[in-house]
Order: sequence, then C-alpha cells, then structure tokens
Amino acid sequence: MLDNGLKVYLLEGGNEEIVKIELVFFAGSFYQSAPLVAFSAANLLRTGTANRTSAEINNILDYYGTYFHADAQKDIASFSVFVLQKHLEPVLGLFQEIIREPVFNEDEMGVFLKNQKQQYLINNQRVQYIARTYFNELLFGQHHPYGYRVEADSFDAVSRTDLLQFHRDFYHPLNAFCIVSGKLPANIRDMLRISLGGDHWPAKEKNQPPSYLASSASEKKVMVQRPHVLQSAIRIGRRLFNRTHPDYHRLMITNSLLGGYFGSRLMQNIRQDKGYTYGIGSNLVSLLRDGYFFIGSEVGVDVCQKAIDEVYRELKKLRCIPATESELAAMKAYLSGDYLRSFDGPFAQSQRYKELLAFRLDVSHFEGFLKELKDISAHQIMQTAEKYLHEDSMIELVVGRK
Amino acid sequence: MVPFKKHILDNGLRLIIHRDETTPMSVLNLLYDVGARDEDPDRTGFAHLFEHLMFEGSVHVPDFDVHLQLAGGENNAFTSNDITNYYMTLPAVNLETALWLESDRMLGLAFSEEKLRIQKNVVTEEYRQSYLNQPYGDTMLLLRPLVYQVHPYQWATIGKNIEQIQTAGLEEVRSFFYRHYRPDNAILSISGPHNEDKVLEMAKKWFGDIPRGVGSLRLLPQEPLQTEQRRLVVERQVPASQIYVVFHTCGRNEQAFYTTDLLNDLLAHGESSRLKERLVKQKRLLSDVNAYLSGSIDTGMFVVTGKLHEETSPEEAEQAVWQELLELASHPVSDHELQKVKNKVEASHEFSESNLLARTMNLAYYELLGDADLLNRQTDAYFSVQGSDIRDMAESMFKKERSTVLYYLKEGSGSG
Repeated sequence: MLDNGLKVYLLEGGNEEIVKIELVFFAGSFYQSAPLVAFSAANLLRTGTANRTSAEINNILDYYGTYFHADAQKDIASFSVFVLQKHLEPVLGLFQEIIREPVFNEDEMGVFLKNQKQQYLINNQRVQYIARTYFNELLFGQHHPYGYRVEADSFDAVSRTDLLQFHRDFYHPLNAFCIVSGKLPANIRDMLRISLGGDHWPAKEKNQPPSYLASSASEKKVMVQRPHVLQSAIRIGRRLFNRTHPDYHRLMITNSLLGGYFGSRLMQNIRQDKGYTYGIGSNLVSLLRDGYFFIGSEVGVDVCQKAIDEVYRELKKLRCIPATESELAAMKAYLSGDYLRSFDGPFAQSQRYKELLAFRLDVSHFEGFLKELKDISAHQIMQTAEKYLHEDSMIELVVGRK
Repeated sequence: MVPFKKHILDNGLRLIIHRDETTPMSVLNLLYDVGARDEDPDRTGFAHLFEHLMFEGSVHVPDFDVHLQLAGGENNAFTSNDITNYYMTLPAVNLETALWLESDRMLGLAFSEEKLRIQKNVVTEEYRQSYLNQPYGDTMLLLRPLVYQVHPYQWATIGKNIEQIQTAGLEEVRSFFYRHYRPDNAILSISGPHNEDKVLEMAKKWFGDIPRGVGSLRLLPQEPLQTEQRRLVVERQVPASQIYVVFHTCGRNEQAFYTTDLLNDLLAHGESSRLKERLVKQKRLLSDVNAYLSGSIDTGMFVVTGKLHEETSPEEAEQAVWQELLELASHPVSDHELQKVKNKVEASHEFSESNLLARTMNLAYYELLGDADLLNRQTDAYFSVQGSDIRDMAESMFKKERSTVLYYLKEGSGSG
C-alpha cells in the first residue's frame, strides 16, 4: 500500500520484457449523475493535462510503443498500460499525470462526443446491439444505472463541469486499486511510489455509493420490429445475483452445461444439430450490486420461432432430466482445462485477481469453484436449474422479425 | 527469441517443436497450405465450408469434441485467402490426445450428407451475421472483385454468394480433402513443457503412417500491374458514409513488405498517426480513420478507409486522404517518427510472443513462408527500413492510376 492509501499488487512472471499496469477506479456509470459522464471522463483523461496537449500525449505514448486502453463499464473504470520494461519509467511518469490532472479541453470533448455519437448511430443499426442494451433496460428499469440506455441527444449534453466534478469525486487513491504484472524491474516499488504515491496524489475520503431500486419489466415477451433484417437477435434471461452469492459456483457450472462452451446443450442442439445459428451461448454476468443470466444468439429470421422453442425446451430439460455420467465428466474435464488456461501467465492472472479485488473476495473463491466442480452431481445441477433458471421466470426479447 | 527444432517426416509433414517449461499448457497448431485462393471460381467459399466439416467426425473418432473436452482442451480454426489453420490448447499432460485427434482427421473424415447439410446452414448464418446483417458488412464483397481483376483473391473467404455454398455436394468435399489435406501439404507446430525428443516420437507415432498426397501444383494467375483507376459508388442504409482507397502491395514474403507495413503504421496506427491527428482531430473531416494491409502471400492490399461526418462530402474526404499520401511520397519522415513506428513494432512483437498460442501459430506460418526462424528476425527486418525506403515506396504506390476507390454512401445523401 502506498502512503496515500492506494493498494498496489505486484504479479511477477513471464519471459518477455514487458510490463502491464492496470489502475482500476470505482468510477463506472453507476456513479454518474448525468448520462455519459463516466464514459467520457475515462476516455477523455488522455486528451490533455495542465502541461501537455492531446497531440503531445499521443506522441509520447506512441513513441514508446505503449498500448493504452481506457475501459469504463457499469461499476468500474480501468486503465491498462502495456509497455516494454525498458520504457516503463517515462511512461509511468506520463500515466500518473494523465490520471491526476486531466483538463477535459472543450475542443477535445467536442471531437470525441461527435465521433462517439456517430458510432452510436451505427451501432444502433445492429440487432445485437439493440438487443443487448434494451434487454438490460427490461431487467433493471430505464432509470436504474444498470438499465439506462443512452440516446443520440445524450452526446450533445455532456458538460465539462460534470466531468471535472466526477473526476474530483471518484478518481482518487482510496477509490482505486492497482495491479502491476509481467517482468518487473528491480526498482519497481520505488518507481510506483514516486509516480502514484502521496506526494502528488493525496488521499480523499471514500465515497458513499448512491442507491437505486431495480425493477424488471412486467411484460415477459417483448418484440422490437426490424422489418428488413436477415437475422433476429434473441435474448432470454433474468436478474439473479453476482459472484459473492453462496450459490454462484453451482449456478456457473449449471450455466456451462446449458450454454457455456461449444459442447454445451444450446450449441450442440441449436447450431450443430439444427443449423439455426452461427453461435449461441448462455452467460452469468456479475455486477457489483446485482447480477443476471441471459441466453443470446442471432438466428435466421425464417427459423427464429423454432430457435426460441428449442431454447425453452433446453431450459426445461436442464431442470427435469439429469445429465448423463459421460456428459458430466466431459464438461468437468473441459472446465478444469479452461480454468487452467485462464491462469496461464502473469497477464491472465492479473485479470483473475482484478475480479477478486473488485468484489472484495480472496483466493478461496477460486478454490471454492474447483471444489464445487469436483463434487457437483447431476441432481444438484437439476436442483439449481429448477431454483434459478425456470423457463417461466425468464424475460424474452426478440429484435428483428419472426 | 523463440527457440524451436524442425523436422520433416518421411511423408513430407513439416514439424516444428517449441519447448516452453514455464507453462502447464501445450498448443498443437496444424496449418494446411490451402485457402480461398485455391478454390474454383464457381465453387467459392469451399475452403471455409470444408473447415467446418473437419469438426464433424473422422474415420475413427465420430465425435471429435467430447474427447478434447475430456482432456480439458479447447480448439478452433480459421480460414483465410491463403491458409486453413487448426489449433488446440490443452493441459500439457494430455498432449497425446491432441495428436491422436488431429492425426485422425488428417487420415480421413467421416463424410456424411446430413452433416454437410447442417454445416451449409451454419455457414449461411455466418454469412448473414458477418456480411449481410451488419452495416458496412458487404464492403469486402464489393472491393475485392474491383481490386483483383484476375487473381483468385477477388473473392472473399466466405464465398462470392450464398448460392455457391448451398449447392456444394459430398463428392466435391471428398475430392477437396484428398487433394489438399495431406501431410506433405501441412505444417504441424507443437509447443509446451515436454522434451523435444518425446514430442518428435509422439508426432511420428500418430502422423508418421499417413500416406502423402500426389502433390498438387499451385498455378494461379497473378494480378497484373494496375494501369487505370477503378471507382465504384454504392448506396446503403447506413447512418454515415464511408470511403475506401486501396492499392496493390507486394506479397508477404518480400523485403519490401516491411517498408509497406511501416508506411501503413505511419498513416493510421496509434492516436498520433498522420491520418488520425490531421483528418480526425485537426480538420475534423472524418469521425474515424483506419489503414491496414491484407498481408497476403501473393499481391496484397493496402487499404485506407474513413467514416465521414455528415457535413463532409466524399470528394472532400478523398482529396484530404490523397494529400496525406502524397506528402509521404514527397517528404521523408523525421527520424523521430520513424523510430516511433519501429518502437511500436518492437512492442507488438514482444506482446504477441508472450502468448503461447500466438507463438505456436506464428512458427507454423513463418515456416510456410519458408523458414520458421523468420519469426525471430522480424524485428530486425523492420529496424533495417530507412526513411528513404518509405518515401520511395510511397512515391511508387500512391498514384491515382494504381488505386481503387469506393464510395459507400448513406442512402439519400445525394453525393457521388
């Protein structure tokens, strides 16, 4: 921990002379008081500080061959920097400057928001984009930050004052954590102390999170017409819980059997047996204050209803008919291998660790999954499906035509 | 530096073994020297359709996936205009399972009418999802036949149209397999913690007895030098117009490729690149701009593309792009800028080397180009490019009569 309260985690490993720094703030869209503020703040940090213009910053980052990525999600905003070890020091110096003292130049804002608006208009033509965003609204309600959908006008209404305020409130060391991974130089601790430590970056009080009430749509089956498309996007799912819940591992394994990998029920039936789609899967999404389950796919419009019927058939089968021993064995073996893969190397490990830190879990979370995977029975999977994945409890959204 | 050992089995199979003791995983990558360019012009999309069929069962293994899953493995494949590449990653202790599965499907496929019918539908859905149901999805389907008048690169890997895929028959599938999917037409690359001798032994055990093919000569018509500009204007239901300016380049294996790649990077790689800084940030003509190379083995494509703001006309955008291209042709880049793009290449190379799968795939690919060790000489090849090389290349490439221009316009924007 640095003297200003910033928690830093070091993960040494790898053969190549590269370093990854990931700085994570609890500064996602959940915390904003106006649309697009969190997203804009995160993406505009690099467009200018008190001492440097956007062009100067871009030139320095590019000169050192740096990969810099800002990612603002619903709960967190994370900043990843990948750089060759030999260039780490100058890049760290610039990085802390970008994080601490962005100016949110009006001109830069204008260019950014205009370009984003155009990208939004393009995305809004894709059935899968509409399905993804509208489905979240159906799950959480249009006024809840997890369900709120941006509109074209939102891009014209972002104010610089809001961005500066948001930055002041949420971009400080007690509201963040940092993971540094790769082949670390001997003086990494000093480097981090100098760049991200207290002299430059004083601690502030921890923020009190706002609270919202989520409300799922009462309408269970929703259709958004798009008359000229060749494929419809389907989403079927419901609100559930996140990875801190005691039943999470069990549900995750149940989800895998249903649609978590190529050998799963949904893929084998709807793609490999029926040919209705190029891809279908089911997912559990963990948010900091909630969680949900969904099945998603794009299917030919001529087979849309048939595909949907098959999905419900699979959901019913999941809770009524136990998996065979061989099916269960294949899935467990696959998931074990997949788990191993997800920890291969320092950068993969840093991703896993980030998940723990965001949710305030510890490594026993991973051990818990492996134990559950080993012990879970076909009967327990059925029970889990019965309890949480009953087909009647789902909301269904189709964007396109049937 | 990626160390490796190379062998050639009696049946012609090229084998590359890379030992990495720091990982518990193994990767098996099998590259077949067949791609969309090898297709019959009336039977396009076939190499890709065939790739799908490789997962539908082989002579001794009716269900490919379940065995790999039991071994904790994951696999996938892709087809390009040049190659078809299959890869598996799994816990190193189970490497032999991967060898068994991969060798069995080289030995022979379990051809079936029913599986063919289903995968034709899956590929049709892929066609729709990626190319027809997306804004700008059909761009390559429009550009390729313009850029390539003679060479088979004129059709995309997915095929010229859905109908050709739908009419594929089982006999054609069979003869495609026995013509192209032979050990002497393949490169097997294996990585992981195992001792190299052990890996060689296992590879011989599983692949050694597969009979070699009769050998097929690849005689493709090469694309001639372009002497006249080609232009196309189309209108689509998209929210913003887009322009494309395309040039021919040398093939991947030529020395000039590295100069071409750096030229491409100078234009649009990174936020400080010329097109991004000048056309997006300063002049605000475009909301987004990109440049990339196809990197194909035969004559390649150098593509520059930009999305127009509402108030920008395609002519204005095109003019601005040409201005940047011609500046590179007339003024040599500064040492700082040249060093910048070289540093980026060095960094990308290191990142990609840190990934076991990428390393294994690249070894096979460079072996196809002639020598797997090319992987370890890439950074030097880029570093040896001079500023004058870039200026010379820009001057010879960026000529109107050597270009293909596509205006992909928002319906009703009334331009063209």
